[in-house]
Amino acid sequence: MTTSPESPTPPQGVDPTTTPQDVAPAAASAPQDAATDGLAAAVAAEPAGPQTENDRLHDGVNRCPKCGSTEVQLRPATGTLVCLFCRHEWSEARVEEALGLGEGLRDLRGTVIASGASDIDQAVDTVMTLKCGGCGAEVIVNTTTELTARCHWCRHVLTINEQIPNGAVPDALLPFHVTHDQAVAQIRQFASKRRLFAHARFKSEFTPENVVGVYLPYMVVDANASADVAGQGEVLIRTYTRGSGDDKKTYYDADVYRVQRHLEFTVDDLTVESSADRANIDVSRNTNNIINSILPFDTKNAVAWNAAYLVGFTSEKRDQDVSAIQPRVEDQLLSIARSKAQASVTAYDRGVRWEQESLDVRGTRWVSMYLPVWLYSYYHVESGRGMVHYIAVNGRTGETMGSVPLARGKLLLAALAAGTVVESLVVAFLVATA
Amino acid sequence: MIDILTAVVHASSGSGDGGGEAWFLLAGPLSGIALYAAIFRYYRNTDKSHRFEQETIVDQTAPITGDDVKVDEVRGTRETRIRGDNVGEHRQRVQRVR
Repeated sequence: MTTSPESPTPPQGVDPTTTPQDVAPAAASAPQDAATDGLAAAVAAEPAGPQTENDRLHDGVNRCPKCGSTEVQLRPATGTLVCLFCRHEWSEARVEEALGLGEGLRDLRGTVIASGASDIDQAVDTVMTLKCGGCGAEVIVNTTTELTARCHWCRHVLTINEQIPNGAVPDALLPFHVTHDQAVAQIRQFASKRRLFAHARFKSEFTPENVVGVYLPYMVVDANASADVAGQGEVLIRTYTRGSGDDKKTYYDADVYRVQRHLEFTVDDLTVESSADRANIDVSRNTNNIINSILPFDTKNAVAWNAAYLVGFTSEKRDQDVSAIQPRVEDQLLSIARSKAQASVTAYDRGVRWEQESLDVRGTRWVSMYLPVWLYSYYHVESGRGMVHYIAVNGRTGETMGSVPLARGKLLLAALAAGTVVESLVVAFLVATA
Repeated sequence: MIDILTAVVHASSGSGDGGGEAWFLLAGPLSGIALYAAIFRYYRNTDKSHRFEQETIVDQTAPITGDDVKVDEVRGTRETRIRGDNVGEHRQRVQRVR
């Protein structure tokens, strides 16, 4: 708080307890200096990230620990892996506790990158050849869309679990909890509420049973940051009117303040897309915003990697490194800071115009995860331009969002009809009162 | 019919002082546009995205601090908000100071 003589007296009509002046004392410069020092130290010696490779597993045949079968898959109701031969159920360890991801946020310094989130080496092929441990056959797996395969000779299930720098095996994953039937019901309900103006072809071809379970790649980021915002705010002093009759006009008097705020905060599990295609959100060209809008996931329940969780599902490989995602994360941190700052400027009842902002990221921790999404896709061509419309269901919470192609002609007619009715009523009113 | 049109034009062209009623004639087109936009948004959800500002766990490690200094006065303005008000536009970036 500024205590200099130029500090204004609280304006009339504003609760003194909530005047702009009533903020906590200004931060000493020490934390800023400490931050700068911390960042410099971090740059000098970047801390090593946790190694997340599942040592018990390797590429190829991975057997049920009880009976030795490779027929292992996810049981969505319990979130566990189940052996289809002996019904033995087990889970991989939660990474939150195993890696201590919920701890030490205030002490984060530098850029800590878990081993599964490390930079992608473009020279490493995404198509991998696995040698079947059952019969010796070679099986090809395209890691862009799958991380499991069945040996075409001996029928063993082969899985990819070793972290090589092609972005295919992440640090952790969140198993599907919402079943196929539940996803179909959610999508059907979503679309049924939007039947009236839906495009006729979409309605006739609507087949929610075709929904596909996909593990999509995300970076889950913890951050320790501070932000400064500055601008101008106005406090209403007086409202009055001048003139009379139709010329009566309202005028306002206001005091203008220079406003500055400093925020210190940590962010836990900020989740951002790590596939360039999914991160490209442009509502005029794609419906990726739909998939973005079903966030967040309960990432605290993510488990260590085991490709057996992916049996029966498809996946999308990560193709972006930390450096490519960092600007988006910084942008989101600034938005979070602005959101938090809003609560401290409520006394400016005529609003605040922020003009400058700065962000000091002291530390971040990056963990790559596959998160479960049920995706219903419908390709629709409109005005010569094709677009895939998604209806997406969060594979954990069931949150559903979608884009339904419109029957534009029908919608135009409805809008025209509504406008005509309203206009007729207005004309009738004007005639009656003329 | 002609009588009605004459009456409407007379009423909307401002029977005397100000002609405020003329604005009523915009109600029809505006309601049509509003209906179109609302249905478009309901079906296409182009305005939807992850509300990370509210849905991410944020811990403020220290109280918010800052300065508030009166620098000017505005008298007799007809604008109800400060010009360029962006206090609620958290994703609208302003000048980034490094």
